[in-house]
Amino acid sequence: MPPPEDSSQPRLAAGCRWGGAEDARVILFPEGAIKLQGTGRQVLERCDGQRTFAEIIAELQAQFSEADPTKIRADISQFLEQLRHKRIVDY
Amino acid sequence: MIPNPLALIAEITHRCPLHCVYCSNPVELAAASSELSTSEWIDVLQQSGKLGMLHAHFTGGEPLARPDLTELIAGARAAGLYTNLITSGIGLAETRLQALVDAGLDHIQLSFQDSREDTANWIAGAKAHAHKIELSRLIRRHKIAFTVNLVVHRQNIDHLDEMIAFIEQLAPERMEIAHTQYYGWALKNRAALLPTRAQLERATQAVAAAEKRLAGRIRVDFVVPDYYARFPKACMGGWGRRLMLINPAGKVLPCHAAEVIPGLEFESVREKTLDFIWRQSSSFQRFRGEEWMPEPCRSCDQRTQDFGGCRCQALLLTGDATATDPACSLAPAHHIVEAALVEANSGAALSRPVAASSFVQLQRAETLWSYRTNPE
Repeated sequence: MPPPEDSSQPRLAAGCRWGGAEDARVILFPEGAIKLQGTGRQVLERCDGQRTFAEIIAELQAQFSEADPTKIRADISQFLEQLRHKRIVDY
Repeated sequence: MIPNPLALIAEITHRCPLHCVYCSNPVELAAASSELSTSEWIDVLQQSGKLGMLHAHFTGGEPLARPDLTELIAGARAAGLYTNLITSGIGLAETRLQALVDAGLDHIQLSFQDSREDTANWIAGAKAHAHKIELSRLIRRHKIAFTVNLVVHRQNIDHLDEMIAFIEQLAPERMEIAHTQYYGWALKNRAALLPTRAQLERATQAVAAAEKRLAGRIRVDFVVPDYYARFPKACMGGWGRRLMLINPAGKVLPCHAAEVIPGLEFESVREKTLDFIWRQSSSFQRFRGEEWMPEPCRSCDQRTQDFGGCRCQALLLTGDATATDPACSLAPAHHIVEAALVEANSGAALSRPVAASSFVQLQRAETLWSYRTNPE
């Protein structure tokens, strides 16, 4: 399964949702949960099925303007691809 | 400081329309008359949420045998829990499924016994296969997670490729290929269920190939065959470390089979709070941590990975719940597991009787194994 394309609209997969307290947000999925802090949380909060992958990247590149934009893109792409393999994200 | 439990396994009834020969329920089933009431379960679910648990796994028996299941799912969601229904699907059609989804059901795990109808019904001791296929189609119309579970063993493992292809066309997010675990009914029927080493090797290759082929579409999870492993499984993620199981009568157990261990007193939710049982009950403390461990576990590097293996398996196979799990290649009693493997790999082991074309004929194959019965 390839990484997301610019026009992909990443979203949580069926039966995966947010849970936990505000200061300890988790993504709940069938057999577990992942704790999300910092940038991981910021990426997944944007995976709403509306924003495109290109838009998500652009928002985070603007927010983290000190960091290398190419690396931001590569990291987020890899992150979403891994979550797709776990069937937590679809795009 | 004892960390909070992560999930509740709610065994809400032991009644079941299926009679699977490898059922993980205890051979001594809880009677229908002893079952917790709706309000008792709702209270337990509230307590689970407050204790920091994240998931409620509704199982049985067949959880659909409880007419109040929809209320229980709603109760779990109200308590902040992720809800999982582990089911044979018998008793579920469109109206009730819609009600469960509306109540907040997050995930259905549907069991299949085989890809072939005759074998599937023979293993389940019931005509269930065709209904399960129909139900899979209904499930896919809802936005909930869908897992197909398949237990593999000597009688079906030779066509695992075909079974994986069968599951693939049901289009779940996840498939769980689970080797039989030998407790309860499965232990009784072990000679007919334990695969040969050659069968296991082919099956392991089939699962690895499927994982690769289906990556990104269907997640493949695998429950290991511990009799053939070098080290034991980390049963329940460690005793009293992650999970609490409540049986139909309200007894709180650290795992499915714990009641087989003599000398342990299990508290009931009718008398004590979950918080008390988790932190202070003698049963949850008995094998928590490393204090109880014998050698070779006590000084073994693996002890933080496998926690000494399974206490119930130790008891069932050696008569001593404090022994190292005999599935471990380092266990003093490993010869017990080795003897079972020698038998499974010898020509004398039980093989499959002639396939029958109807369930009536299949019933005659009962001498091969004991079907799970129902509680009083």
